[in-house]
Amino acid sequence: MQSSSFPTDSGRSVFYADKAHMETARILDHRSIAEQTYRLRMECPTIADRIVPGQFVMLRIPACNDPLLGRPLALYDTVFDPAGRVVGLDIVYCVIGKMTRLLAGQRSGDPIDVWGPLGNGFPPLVCRHLLLVAGGIGQTPFYSLAKERLGQKVYGNRSRSVPRVEKVTLCYGVRSANFLAGVAEFQDAGIQVEICTEDGSIGHRGLVTESLQAILSESNEDCHIVCCGPEPMLEATARIAATWNVPCDVSLETPMACGIGLCFSCVVKIRQPDGGWDYQRACVHGPVFDATKIVW
Amino acid sequence: MTRADIDLQVQLGRLQLPNPILVASGTFGYAREMEAFVDLKRLGGIIPKTITKEPRKGNPPLRTVETAAGLLNSIGLDNDGMEQFIVHILPYLAELGVPILASIAGRNQTEFVELAERLSHASTTSGQASLAGIELNISCPNVSHGVDFGTDPIQCERLVAACRAASALPIVAKLTPNVTSICDMARAASAGGADAIALINTCLGMAIDWRGRRPRLGNVLGGLSGPAIKPIALRCVWQAAQATKTAIIGIGGIASVDDCMEFFVAGASAVQLGTVNFYNPRATMDVLDALPDALAEAGVLSVADVVGTLQVIPS
Repeated sequence: MQSSSFPTDSGRSVFYADKAHMETARILDHRSIAEQTYRLRMECPTIADRIVPGQFVMLRIPACNDPLLGRPLALYDTVFDPAGRVVGLDIVYCVIGKMTRLLAGQRSGDPIDVWGPLGNGFPPLVCRHLLLVAGGIGQTPFYSLAKERLGQKVYGNRSRSVPRVEKVTLCYGVRSANFLAGVAEFQDAGIQVEICTEDGSIGHRGLVTESLQAILSESNEDCHIVCCGPEPMLEATARIAATWNVPCDVSLETPMACGIGLCFSCVVKIRQPDGGWDYQRACVHGPVFDATKIVW
Repeated sequence: MTRADIDLQVQLGRLQLPNPILVASGTFGYAREMEAFVDLKRLGGIIPKTITKEPRKGNPPLRTVETAAGLLNSIGLDNDGMEQFIVHILPYLAELGVPILASIAGRNQTEFVELAERLSHASTTSGQASLAGIELNISCPNVSHGVDFGTDPIQCERLVAACRAASALPIVAKLTPNVTSICDMARAASAGGADAIALINTCLGMAIDWRGRRPRLGNVLGGLSGPAIKPIALRCVWQAAQATKTAIIGIGGIASVDDCMEFFVAGASAVQLGTVNFYNPRATMDVLDALPDALAEAGVLSVADVVGTLQVIPS
């Protein structure tokens, strides 16, 4: 079993939140960008200076005991002032429970507890065509990823170097047109967006995996798939990727109590070299995993 | 009286700690995870996640569910086993220079004794003692038969005595609140020779999705922790303090220096911060910063001077 032994894990190194910082940040901007979907901008330069695509922060309403715990939210984008200094970061969330309902009531100027960056971020993803597959709010980690890999923006350490890609396509599935968030931003960044809705109100009527199939049937050459969304969608995408012999990583939205590696809540069944499986913590070993390693 | 005059050292049986602020097993990983948030050297003691003789995968997800001011968990003692702990984790912990109390859980008395013996041996063979003590987790509600030693006073006393005989290290018995009489259990642990009694572990509970008619936890039942259980923990500490002279370590929903002071006044000589580490990873540092002023406000020069000073006016 490797799940809790340190200092290293076979393959990817275990992240121990060593660059994490905790502060009470000020909300700079908070706005609705789609049905039940908000973008929250926080003033937290230290975290924003360190975070890279695929990592997350924990957010908590200060001194609030119900909800008690923080919530993990993926980096959407970092924010700079006109002088080019990093100021804060954006997260995008959908109102689904007690915490997000309360969060939606927070206004500009209000304090919010935030700690991060947490998790490992995306792996190198060496390819020509990056295929992003998102279900619902699962699109949020992909905006910064696409901008970084298209060479438009640098995240984290200024000397950080990541492989460039030539093309990014986002297959984006939502229930209905009014849940689409940030499509124009993705398109402005040169990302091809394929929209799917369950009700057919816009784009392709059906599942996002159908769009993915259509793209792969045109060409599966030098592609890499990254997927984020509900688990059935992740599993279906992983199956399609295997069929087309395309590498696939999934970013998991596993419930977490701490996000740091303390609680052992967010465990995922991961295949082991001996043919068995073991639970690994999504917060310190993920949240991005090679899809072939997950026991669905 | 100034902050500099305050003595934070505490003595619990044979166990001496630099200050009374510890972290509870299962809420602090193996300490390494917290380096970015906590100056580990400042802690009064660290109790890493419970280890068992053999590796355990733990319970199926969902393993935690948030409830009003609380957290239900059924992690199920997910750990890599005693030998992995000794090889990979103990050397790191030993380097910290902080009292480390290994939390152990056995399926039976033989396993508890084996764990206590093996860890005592590993602790002393590295030259400098790497463990300050052993905490017996006889109270985890998430493993079958895990609580027998915590609910039956006779078994509890025997187990504590056997572990005490098997190890030269100070022994802490961590008790469950899920009993009719916490006093009977505290007396039993004391009679067995425990250097200190830690209480409380989590309160057995459950959460239900009524629409799906399903339990929310993968293991159906779980242990409740967090601010929701603080009044129960205070009650248990106060009752146990009436029942025994053995030192008490208070645990249960402690999140601030005021919470710590309440536990000291109730009869605890030290405290463990648990669930708060999940939602405020800096909580231990905040408490340590504020503790000297709180003791000064109480008009005492040491933690011991405030322990068990609750005044109850007889009716």
